[in-house]
Amino acid sequence: MSTIRRSIAAVRGLFQRRRLEADLDEELRFHLAMEAEAQVSRGASREEAERRAKLKLGGLEPTKEAARSARGYRRLESLGQDVRFAFRLLRRNPGYAGAVVAALALGIGANTAIFSVVRGVLLRELPYQQPGRLVVLHQHKPLAPEEDQGFSVPDLEDLRRRNHSFSGFAEYHSMWFNLLGHAEPERVQTGVVSANFFSVLGTRAILGRTFSPDDDKPGAQPVLVFSYAYWQRSWGGDPAVLGKTLQMNDHPHRVIGVLPPVPQYPNDNDLWMPTSACPFRSTPQTIAARQGRGYNVFGRLRPGATLPQARQDLDTINHALLAEYPGDYPTGGYRIDAIPLLTELTARARPTLLLLLATVLLVLFIVCANVANLQLARLSSRGDELGLRTALGAGRGRLLRQLLTESVILALLGAALGVGVAAALLEGLVAFAARFTARTGDIALDGWVLAFTIAVAIGAGLLSGTLPALTASRAISDAMAAGGRGGTGGPGQAGSSRLRAILAGVQVAVSFLLLVSAGLTLRSIWKLQAVDAGFNAENVLALQIDLDWAHYKTKPQRRAFHHALLEKAHALPGVAAAAYSSNYPLDGLGRGTVGLHVEGRDVAGANLPQAGFRIASADVFKTLGIRIERGRGFADTDRDGAPPVAVLGHALASRLFGSEDPLGRRLRLSWDEKTDWRTVIGVIADVRDLALDQDPGGAIWVALDQYPALAGSLLLRSQRDPQDLTAVARTLVRDIDPRQPVGKVETLETARSAALAAPRLTTLLLSAFAALALAVTVIGLGGVVAFGVVRRTREIGIRMALGADRGAILAAVLREGLAAVGAGVVVGAVAALLLARVVARLLFGVPPTDPITYLVVALLLVAVAACACLVPARRATTVQPSLALRAL
Amino acid sequence: MAKEKEDLLQGTLDLLILRTLAIEPQHGWGIAQRIEQISRDVLSVTQGSLYPALYRLEEQGSIAAEWGLSENNRRAKFYRLTRAGKRQLERETESWERFAAAVARVLRTA
Repeated sequence: MSTIRRSIAAVRGLFQRRRLEADLDEELRFHLAMEAEAQVSRGASREEAERRAKLKLGGLEPTKEAARSARGYRRLESLGQDVRFAFRLLRRNPGYAGAVVAALALGIGANTAIFSVVRGVLLRELPYQQPGRLVVLHQHKPLAPEEDQGFSVPDLEDLRRRNHSFSGFAEYHSMWFNLLGHAEPERVQTGVVSANFFSVLGTRAILGRTFSPDDDKPGAQPVLVFSYAYWQRSWGGDPAVLGKTLQMNDHPHRVIGVLPPVPQYPNDNDLWMPTSACPFRSTPQTIAARQGRGYNVFGRLRPGATLPQARQDLDTINHALLAEYPGDYPTGGYRIDAIPLLTELTARARPTLLLLLATVLLVLFIVCANVANLQLARLSSRGDELGLRTALGAGRGRLLRQLLTESVILALLGAALGVGVAAALLEGLVAFAARFTARTGDIALDGWVLAFTIAVAIGAGLLSGTLPALTASRAISDAMAAGGRGGTGGPGQAGSSRLRAILAGVQVAVSFLLLVSAGLTLRSIWKLQAVDAGFNAENVLALQIDLDWAHYKTKPQRRAFHHALLEKAHALPGVAAAAYSSNYPLDGLGRGTVGLHVEGRDVAGANLPQAGFRIASADVFKTLGIRIERGRGFADTDRDGAPPVAVLGHALASRLFGSEDPLGRRLRLSWDEKTDWRTVIGVIADVRDLALDQDPGGAIWVALDQYPALAGSLLLRSQRDPQDLTAVARTLVRDIDPRQPVGKVETLETARSAALAAPRLTTLLLSAFAALALAVTVIGLGGVVAFGVVRRTREIGIRMALGADRGAILAAVLREGLAAVGAGVVVGAVAALLLARVVARLLFGVPPTDPITYLVVALLLVAVAACACLVPARRATTVQPSLALRAL
Repeated sequence: MAKEKEDLLQGTLDLLILRTLAIEPQHGWGIAQRIEQISRDVLSVTQGSLYPALYRLEEQGSIAAEWGLSENNRRAKFYRLTRAGKRQLERETESWERFAAAVARVLRTA
C-alpha cells in the first residue's frame, strides 16, 4: 500500500476515532454473542459459554489493540496519547520536571547562544555579492614571514595587467585625517580605496552612490562616502548629509553616499575616499615607487576560476616580477598569497569559538547523562505503572515510545526556556566576539539558530531517554516473563544501578576534560596578568594627538607644537611627568619596523637586522615607568642640532652587540642619510608593548626633537586619578591650536585591561561552563549514591544487625561512588592529554599538559565528589536495623 | 500424538479469508466458522488474529465492510470482496498451489 494512502487513512482515522472505536466495540460484541450462542447450543451454561467465547477471542482489549494497530491511524493517535500522558505525568511530578527542564534549559541555552555566534561569525555568508569569490592578497618577505608587506601601486598595476584568474583587484589603505566643517574638529579614520573597491566587493550605497572611475582621476573633485556607523554616530543618520561639503586636508570634499552596515575590515573606517583624494597616495612619487609597499589588495575571482588556480596565477606573476625588478625586492624571495575573505575575517575568532562550541556541547552531554540518571531513578519507582501498562497489552515498542516522548517533551520545554537564556546572554557574547572579529553584525537568534536549537533539543531528549527507556522496557518484559514482581519495586534494579554508575563515571570524565581546559586558561590568564610588561600602567593618561599634516608640513612647525604642548603639560597641577611619543604600550596601533646599519659593519640591505621603531620626547621612560638598565634616557638637551641619539631595548641591544658594550656605538636607520649616525646613549628594559603575550622583539627609540613625528600621543603621569586630567589636557591642546582635534583618550590601565579582555572573557566563559558541568555532575553522583543506599537499605540493616560498625558501612557506600569518580578521572585525564593540542594555541606560558592543573583538577573533582557521596552515605549509617528488617 | 488442529501458517489466514468471502459477504464470526467447517475443523482460527487481519485487508482495499443484519437479525459488520481482492485471491491461490505442489513433490521423492 502506498505511503500516501496510509497517511490519509491515518489522518482520517484520527478524526473518525470515536466512530471507529464504537464500530470495533460493536463488532467484537457481536462476535462474542454469536460465539456464546454457539457454545450454549453445544450444551454449555450461559456463564461458561461467555467465558469460553472471550477466551477463544483471546481477550477483548488485546484484540482491540491489535485491531487498532492494524489500522494506520494508531501511530499518530498514540503519539497524541503519549504527549498528553507525558504532560499529565510531569504535572504530577513538578519537582522532577522542573529540575530536568532547568538543567536542560541551561545546557541547551548555552548551545543556542554559542551557536548563534558561530553561525553569525563563521558560517554565515559575508554581506557582499558572491562573497565566496572574494580574497585578500598578502605579500611576504622571507625575513618577516608573519608580516604582510602589502603592495605598491606599480605592484598592483602589474597584478591587474598580468592575471588571468581575477575579475578585479581593489586597492585599500586607511589613514587618520582631521575633518572640519562639522560641529568640532573631528579625527576620522578614512579608508583610501581605488574607485572599483565597492564594485569588487559588491556593496551598493544605501544612500547616494559609491565611487565612479571619474572620482579617482588625478585632480578630480575630492569626494567622500560615509560608513553606516559613522553616519549614525556623528550625523544622527541625517540624509541631508548628501551633497554637503566638508573641509579635509585643506581641500573641500563633497559627500556623495552612505554605505550599508557591512563588516569593517581591516579597519573600522568612518569615511572612505578615492586614492586621488589622499594627499599622500596621490603624489607622483608614491605612484611610481615600486618599493612603496603597504597597500592592501582585495580580489574577486573570475567566474570559473578556482582558488588554487588563482594562487598558481599569482605565483607565476610574482616570479616574473622578481626576475624583472630584482632591485625592488631588497631581500629577494617575496611571496604572494590569496586568502578567502571570510577566512581572513574570522581567523582569530575561529579557534576560540570552536572551543566554546565543543565545550557547550559537552556540557549538554553531561546534562543529558544526568537527566538519564534521574529518569532511571524515577523509572524504578514507576515500575508498577509500567508493569500495569504492559499487563494491559501495551507492547514493548509502545512503552519505549512513551518514555522517549516524555524525555523529548522535557528537552523541548528546556529548549524553549533555553532560547530565553540565550537571548539574555547574546548582547554580552556579541561584545565578546567583537574582540576577535569585525563580523559581529550578523549575530542573531534567527531561524537557523532556532532550527539548531530544536535539533539539539530533540537529540538531547533522545540521548537522555533512550538508555533508561531501553533498560526499563527490557526489565519489564523480563519481569513479566518471569511471572511476577521481584524485589522491592522497580524494574531491572541491578542493571540500572550499574548503568547509573557508568553514566556518573562518564560525567566525571567529561567534567574533568572541561575543568582542565578551564584550569589551563585560568593559569594562562594569571600568568598573563602577572607578566612583567616592562612598564608601569598606573596613573598614566594617554591622549592621541596626531598633527594635521596640512598645518604642520615643516619640522620647525611640529617642534614648535611639541615644545608648547610639553611645556604647558608639565605645568599642569598634579602632573608628575609628561612626554610625547609616537606610541604607548598596548595602544593597539600596528608598528613599523626599521632596518639598522651598525657602524663598522657592512651588511647588505637584504640582511639588515630589523627592529621596532619608536619616537619619544625626554622623560618618556619616567612617564611610562620603563626601567633604564644602562646609560641614560632622552633629555631636553637631545634637541635638533645636537648629536643624534638612540636608546635600545634590552633584547635588541644584545641581538646587535652580544656581550659588547652598546653605549657609544653608532647606528643608522635604513631610510636615514648616509651620514646620520645616531649614538646609543642608553639601554632600557624590554617592553611588551604590542601584546602582553608576545615576546618583545626589541625596539630602537629616537629623540622626538631630532625626528619630529606627525603622529603620537601626549602621555601624562598623574599623582591622582589620571582621568581627572582629561578635560584640562583637552583645553590645553585647544589653546595651542583650536583646529587640532584630540583622538582617543584612555588610561594605560584601560589599555592594559583591554588587552587582557579577550582571553579573560574566554576564560570566564570556559570556567562558567566547567562550573556548570561540575555542579551537574556532582548532583548526578550524589543521586547515584543515594539511590544505592535506598536499594541496599535491607542489606545495610542486616549487616548492622549482625554487628558491622558504621565506618565499614560508610566505606562500602562511599566506595561505590568513588569507584565511578576514579574511573572517570582516569578516562578524563587520558582524553584531556589527547585533546591538549586544541587549547594549546589559546594558552600563554602554560603547556597544555601542565601537571599542576591536572593534579588540582583531579583533587578538586575527587574532593567535591567525596562530599557529594558523603551526604547519602552518612544517611546509610543511620539506618535503623529493626525498621529496615521490618520493611521486608 | 498428532495435534488435533493445525495452527495457521502466517499469511495463509489472509488467503482463507479472501477465499471465504469469494463465496458470499460474511461477518467476522461467520468467516471464522466457515474456515473451520470447510477445513473439517483441521484449521482453527485464533479469533484474536482474525480481526487485525480483516482490518488490514480492509485498509489494503482487498475487502470492504458495511453494516447489515445477521441471520438472527442482529446488527453485524459484513465484509465483501472488492475487485482488487478478487485479483489478489487469484494471484495468491496460484502461488499457494505452486508452493503446495512443490512441497508435495519434495515429500514424495526425497
